[in-house]
Amino acid sequence: MSFKEEVALTLRGARMQRRVIGALIIRELHSRFGQHYYGYIWLFFEPLLLGSAIGLVHYLNDHSAIFGPFEFFAAGYILYFIFRGILNRATAAIRSNLHLLYHRTVTLPDIFFARHLIETISCIGVMFVFMFALFVVNGEMVEDPTKIILAFIGMALLTQGMALMAAAATEAMEGMERAVHAFTYLTLPICGMFFLVEWLPESLQELALYVPMVHLFELMRDGQFGSRFQAHYDLGYVAAWILVTHLLGLAALRITRQRLGLE
Amino acid sequence: MTISMKLSPLITLSEPSASRSGEALEPAPPPQPWLLRLVRKPFFLLVILPSLLVAFYFYGIAAPQYVSEARFVVHSRGNDGGGPAAALRAAAGGALGGLGGAMSSGEANSIRNFLSSLDAVMQANEKLDLVELWRRPEADFLARIWFTEPERIARFFKHMVTVTLDPMTGVTTLQVRSFRPEDSKELAETLLVAAESLVNRLSERARGDTLRLAQQEIEVAERRVQESRAALVRFREQERELDSAGAVQAALVLRGQLEGALAQARAELTERQQFMRPDNPALQATRNRIEALERQISAERSRHTDSTANVGGAVLARQLAAYERLMLEREFADKQLASATASLETARMEAQRQQLYLSRIVQPNLAVYPLYPRSFTNTASIFLGLVIAYGIGWLLIVGMREHAA
Repeated sequence: MSFKEEVALTLRGARMQRRVIGALIIRELHSRFGQHYYGYIWLFFEPLLLGSAIGLVHYLNDHSAIFGPFEFFAAGYILYFIFRGILNRATAAIRSNLHLLYHRTVTLPDIFFARHLIETISCIGVMFVFMFALFVVNGEMVEDPTKIILAFIGMALLTQGMALMAAAATEAMEGMERAVHAFTYLTLPICGMFFLVEWLPESLQELALYVPMVHLFELMRDGQFGSRFQAHYDLGYVAAWILVTHLLGLAALRITRQRLGLE
Repeated sequence: MTISMKLSPLITLSEPSASRSGEALEPAPPPQPWLLRLVRKPFFLLVILPSLLVAFYFYGIAAPQYVSEARFVVHSRGNDGGGPAAALRAAAGGALGGLGGAMSSGEANSIRNFLSSLDAVMQANEKLDLVELWRRPEADFLARIWFTEPERIARFFKHMVTVTLDPMTGVTTLQVRSFRPEDSKELAETLLVAAESLVNRLSERARGDTLRLAQQEIEVAERRVQESRAALVRFREQERELDSAGAVQAALVLRGQLEGALAQARAELTERQQFMRPDNPALQATRNRIEALERQISAERSRHTDSTANVGGAVLARQLAAYERLMLEREFADKQLASATASLETARMEAQRQQLYLSRIVQPNLAVYPLYPRSFTNTASIFLGLVIAYGIGWLLIVGMREHAA
C-alpha cells in the first residue's frame, strides 16, 4: 500500500469515526435523559444547580473572601463537575455499552469520546450561562473567557486520559470501580477547587502544583479575576499529564478490547 | 468475521507498509537494504530522526553557554509594614529574621520584577550592548540573539537571565547565561549594580517621604516662634514697657502701700480725734495726708483700669491683656517647636529603620565549565515526548482505521 492509499484509508476511517461518535452522542443522550426535551435541559441544569448550591453555601458562610465566594466556588464546582462526571461514569461505560461493540465500526474509545464530548460541551455551556448571569447580576465581566474555555478543555482532556485508564482498570480488576469513586472524592480537597495556590503556605504551594488539576483551576481563575491575584500554572506540565494518560489509557483500552473478545 | 481477524492487522500498524512493500519487492533480486527499510518506517521518521537531529545539534553544533550566578538578600533594618501579603509571607516564613533584621519579601519581589523588566534590560544594554554580547562569533546560529528591537531583546533576556526568589530564605538568585564566561560575569555584575541602585533609590525615597513631613512641621513651628518673638519685641517698643506683668505687679504693690498708708492715716486721725481738739493743726495735717493719699489712690486706679482715661494715662489693663496674649502665643510656639523637633527625631529613627540594603551573598562567578545547553536532558526529554506523542498518534490513527476496515 502506498503512502497515498494509507492516508486515504486513514481519512476514510476518520470520517467514519466522526459519524460513529455523532451517532453515539445522540444515543447516549437518549439513553440518559429519555427522548424528552426536559432531559436535555437537565443536562445543563445538573451542574448549574449543584454549582450554584455550593456557591450559595459558601456565600452564606463566608463574606470575607477577596472575590465573591459565589463566583469562586460555583465556577470551581462547574469545572470540577467535568472531572467528576467523566471519571465516575467511565467505570460503567464499557459494561453498559458492551453490546454496541457487536457493530464493527464502533470501538471502545468512540464510546468514551462521545460521552466526554457531551460532558465538556454541557459544562462549557453551563459556564457561559453562569458567566452571563453573573454579568447581568454583578455587571462585572470575567477578565478573559479564552482562558476559562482553555481550562475546561484542558480539564476534559486530562480527565479523558484518566477515564480511559480507569475504564481499562475496571475491566481488568474487580473492585476498581469503588477505588475510582473513592479517588474522585479524595481529589476534591486537593484539586484546587477550594483554594488558590497563592493562599497556601510556600511549602504546600510546591506540593499543590504537582497536582495537574490545580493548574487548570488556576488557569480558570486567572481568566475569571486574574488581575486580583497571582496565578500559578504551567500548561506544559498539564500537557505532559494529558499525553501520558492518553497514551496509557488508549493502549490499555486496546488490550481490554482484545480481552473482551466478543465473537 | 472474528475479532482476532479484525484486530490482528491493526496491532502491527507500522509493519504493513514495510512488509507489503517487502512482499512486493521480494521477487526482485536486490532486496531493499535494511537501512532503507528502517528509514522508511514512520517511527524512524517521526521519532528517531528528529531526536537524532536534536542530539546532533546539542552535541555537535550548540555553543557552550557559561553561567554566572550571584545571590543576594534585600533586607531592611526594621520590620517592613508591607501590608497583609508581607505579613502572611512573614508568618509562613516563620523564624527567618536571623540575618540582621527582617527580610523584606515585598522589596525582594520588586527587585526581582525589576530585574526582568524592560527597564533593567535597557539599563544593561546601555552599558554592555547586549546584542553584541549574545551575538559573539562563537555563538551558534540557533542560540544567538536574532533581533535588535528592545522588546525582543527583553524576551531573549528573560530566556538567558533567570531571577528566582526563594521565599523561605529571602535569597534571590540571579543566573546569567552567555557564550563567554567573562560576558556572563560582567552582565551579572551590571545587573547587580542596577539592582543595588534601585534599592538605594527606594530606600532614599522612603526616608525622604518620612523626613520631609517632619521637616515641614519644624519649619512651620520655627516660623511661629520667630513671629511671636517679633510681636513681643514690637509690643515692648511700642508700649515702652519691658514687662507689663511686672509693671502691674509694681502698680499693685504701690497701691497696696498707698492703701496701707491711707488706713494707717485714718486710724491715726481717729485716734487723735479722741484727745485732740478739732482745730488742732496736727489733725489738719493728718486730714491733708488722708486726702492726698485718697487722690493718689484714685489716680492710680483710673490709670490702671479706666478705659475712658485720656491718652496720657496709658491703660495698664489693656496693655496687660495684649501682653499676656503675646506671652501665651510665645509659649505655644515654643511648645510646638519642641514637639516638632521630637517628631523629627522619631521620623529620623524610623527612616533609619526603613533603610533597605541589598547584601550580596554570592558574588558573580567566572564560569569555567559550560553548564548549558543541557544536552542530555534536552535530547532525552525531546525523545521521550516524541515517543509518547507517536504512541498516541499511532493509537488514534489505528482507531480511525478500524472504522474503515
